[in-house]
Amino acid sequence: MMGIWAAAISVPLLVLLYFLKLKRREQLISSTLLWKKAIQDLQVNAPFQKIRRNILLLLQLLALGAILLALAGPVLRMMGSGPKRYVLLIDRSASMNATDVLPSRLAEAKRQAKTFVESLPKERLFSLNRAQTQVMAIAFDKTAKVVCNFTSDRQQLLRAIEAIEPGDGASQIGQALTAARAFAQPIEADANNRSAEEPARLLLFSDGRIEDLEKQAVGQEELEYHVVGKNPDNLGIIAMQARRDFEDTQRVDVFLTLANYGTNPAASDVEFSVNDTVVSVRPVNVDKEALSTDGKATLPGKMSMEFSFRSEDAAVVRVRIVKEDALVADNTAYAVVSARKNLSIALVSEGNAVLRSALKACGPGKLDELTPADFETKAAGDFLVQQPYDVIVLDNVAIQKRPRGRYLVFGQPPSGIDVTVGGQLENQFVADWRTRHPVLQYVNLNTLFAARGLVLQMPRDAEILAEFTKGPAISVVRRQGSVFILTAFDVVSTNWPFEPGFVLFCYNAMQYLAAQASVETDGSLQPGEPIMVEGLPAGTETTVIGPGMASVKLTATDAGLVRLPAAEHTGLYRMEFAGREAKYFAVNLNDEQESRIAPLETLTFSGQEIKAQTKPLSRANLPLWPYLVLAALGLCLLEWWVYTGKMRL
Amino acid sequence: MSRYLAATKQKISSKISIKMESITHTKRKLTDLLEPQFMARLDGLDLASRRMLRGQTQGQRLSKRRGQSVEFADHRQYTAGDDLRFLDWNIYARLEQLFLKLFLEEQDLTLHILMDVSESTATGEPSKALFIRKMAAALGYVGVVHHNRVTISAFADGVTLQLANQRGRGCVSRLAEFLLTVESGGPSAFEKACKQVVQDRIGSGVVVVLSDMLFKEGYEAGLKRLFSRHYDVYVIQTLSPEERQPTLSGDLKLVDIEDADMAEITISAALLNYYRKTLASYCDQLQQFCMRHGAGYVLAGSDASAERLTLNTLRKSGLLR
Repeated sequence: MMGIWAAAISVPLLVLLYFLKLKRREQLISSTLLWKKAIQDLQVNAPFQKIRRNILLLLQLLALGAILLALAGPVLRMMGSGPKRYVLLIDRSASMNATDVLPSRLAEAKRQAKTFVESLPKERLFSLNRAQTQVMAIAFDKTAKVVCNFTSDRQQLLRAIEAIEPGDGASQIGQALTAARAFAQPIEADANNRSAEEPARLLLFSDGRIEDLEKQAVGQEELEYHVVGKNPDNLGIIAMQARRDFEDTQRVDVFLTLANYGTNPAASDVEFSVNDTVVSVRPVNVDKEALSTDGKATLPGKMSMEFSFRSEDAAVVRVRIVKEDALVADNTAYAVVSARKNLSIALVSEGNAVLRSALKACGPGKLDELTPADFETKAAGDFLVQQPYDVIVLDNVAIQKRPRGRYLVFGQPPSGIDVTVGGQLENQFVADWRTRHPVLQYVNLNTLFAARGLVLQMPRDAEILAEFTKGPAISVVRRQGSVFILTAFDVVSTNWPFEPGFVLFCYNAMQYLAAQASVETDGSLQPGEPIMVEGLPAGTETTVIGPGMASVKLTATDAGLVRLPAAEHTGLYRMEFAGREAKYFAVNLNDEQESRIAPLETLTFSGQEIKAQTKPLSRANLPLWPYLVLAALGLCLLEWWVYTGKMRL
Repeated sequence: MSRYLAATKQKISSKISIKMESITHTKRKLTDLLEPQFMARLDGLDLASRRMLRGQTQGQRLSKRRGQSVEFADHRQYTAGDDLRFLDWNIYARLEQLFLKLFLEEQDLTLHILMDVSESTATGEPSKALFIRKMAAALGYVGVVHHNRVTISAFADGVTLQLANQRGRGCVSRLAEFLLTVESGGPSAFEKACKQVVQDRIGSGVVVVLSDMLFKEGYEAGLKRLFSRHYDVYVIQTLSPEERQPTLSGDLKLVDIEDADMAEITISAALLNYYRKTLASYCDQLQQFCMRHGAGYVLAGSDASAERLTLNTLRKSGLLR
């Protein structure tokens, strides 16, 4: 309606202005007689002279018309009656933070997506079909998030796209595709899954570094890929680990692998800091990318580094590549090293000298012998939070309270772990065992003879390490965060104490369980993973401070669990507890796929190659207003030319 | 508008008068208008009339009247009271009858120059007024030196100024005085002027109209008054180069210098074309009109040479010989 009003007002106005505009120059002449006759002749003989003389008016009307048309915003549908529904998949993974395209790849992807949205036809005065193009936007890294459901509201879409924040996660398109298809499913599909509505078209804005491409299947026509990024140069840390030496527990070894994905050798300094103090800076020179031996793939130039320091206390190690490059997220890696801690063992037993001496031989820092009653008392107290013991050895005792922990169980299994006793065994030999399992490393069970044993009925997920002829002998069960190594016999009813294998088994089991403990407390995470602390008193207040986020206050649940849903960004997270030492979590990219930032021109889905669009995104609809404005400008110029030409006559 | 017009008129007239001033310094002589060599050549020319017209006094032209001259015309019978000097005594001796000899009388020729001094003649480059004055000077000079009776009437809105009945070389300075002092101005009323001229009864003779002939009221009524058996009429139409080939451009409001009449035009090639056609047909119609009534017609641009016009064109047309 507005267009008609605008035309109704402006066109007569222009005509009026044209008549007003004629400010004629006065010219004295001897007589107007002949001129009047000439004008009369002109008018009588050529009725169209008036119009021809007013070619300026005609040109102005044309120019005005062009401008009005431009205001109406006509759009040339390049795709004809193509799909009316689009899903924009915008990759926000770590590699999209690369700054080879300024300001960043994600910003460029967002810009392209917005260009597309802006090129969509608006609700118009002259729109012939009422069916609106609908667009949905999904941002994905490891997980997918629908930032805007199907809508034809351009402003809402633009706002939603603008609000997409960069993440440091790996990119996986699976969820995004599932979500897109779920939403894009035509509502009124018939039995054959056919519908009047055409399927939605997917527009992927990414650098192509997506982990799970091989697992996904898309049709050639279904997905349109717009590649973002141009430069592969990146030097990054793809792996880092810091651990205490087994022998010398004061010594902490830091291992790290650098990879250069660029086409030139990369030189930089690598800076090691411990607790924010720089302790070493080393120059490195990493080879450029090279073809693999079979010539099919390119392999990054890699370089391993090692660094060690001595510390008894907990420490945060930071390694930083000093030279800045396109991707910042993989230039810094953190590792959290826990304080040196000798193995502490609780032996819950009615008295077992054999076991005690075997455990002592494992060299623990602390070995407490507890009666079942003592243990029950302690377990009721602060046991859960303090976790004073790395390993608890249950020597054929039945206990009621079983705090979370790591257990080596001889004989009677604890209750509540889905292991039941099915009967008694007698005179059993070990028929088979897994020699490669760390618990049974170097242990010879050939000579083990059990005079009495139990038939243990294991849950399906149990790991059987050794079997008697009639049932499992040694098995590993994990339940509710606890790990149990179960042996189906009391050690004193076997000949095992006299075998060297017994001590080896004890040692292996201690190391294995202790390692389980350290796995649990190891604060090394990948972006997108949740940060969890368990075993806190219910209602404990904690504050989490991390990179790129405001401090978050969390309260422990009744089960003693504190959980930050996802560590979005790489860096060091600090969890503070009232009255306790703060806990650190290192979130590192450590992802070869994301560090390899060279944009992929072709996506290889399972069995389907999809090439990146070469044309920039303006295909959906071509707005015509710039051309109309140009035409108006041209008409104005022409008018000027005609005007001056007339003056020349 | 009227103020603007007045100011512009003022400007133009001052320009003209300056021009006049510059050529009319101390003594006003005809040589200020005409070159001496040109005047010398004019001496050899005389006015001619295509009709035998009746003069007023004795002159150098034969008239239809019988009178005193050496040119024998006829005999007639003597009646009482006739002058005895003209009796043909030879016939009386032979026939013994009294016959009187009759002679054709030689009379003078009246040249009447009607000179347009309306405002419109002040325009043009060179000015039409100047050209008209030159032509009037040349013709007047030829007239007076051959003892013709020359009357010059300057007309604008009717006859504004008149120099009547000049004859003989002695009148040349008066002629010059008149031509150099008469000023251009006022609207043109051709018919009124013609009416006055006819009513004055200055005498039959040659009438030369010097004008641009661009009269809103039309030239026909005025000229018809002149077309009579008493007058041999010549029309010398003078147009400025600007009028013949306009160099106007753009959107213009044309203002008539005489009556402030306006014409709004936008110059285009087509319009200019029509203007030229209109001008040509206007001149052509005027010529046809003159020919139908036995009058002479000459078209002259104000940039044309007065000398060539006088010595060639007017001689061919029969006004001078």
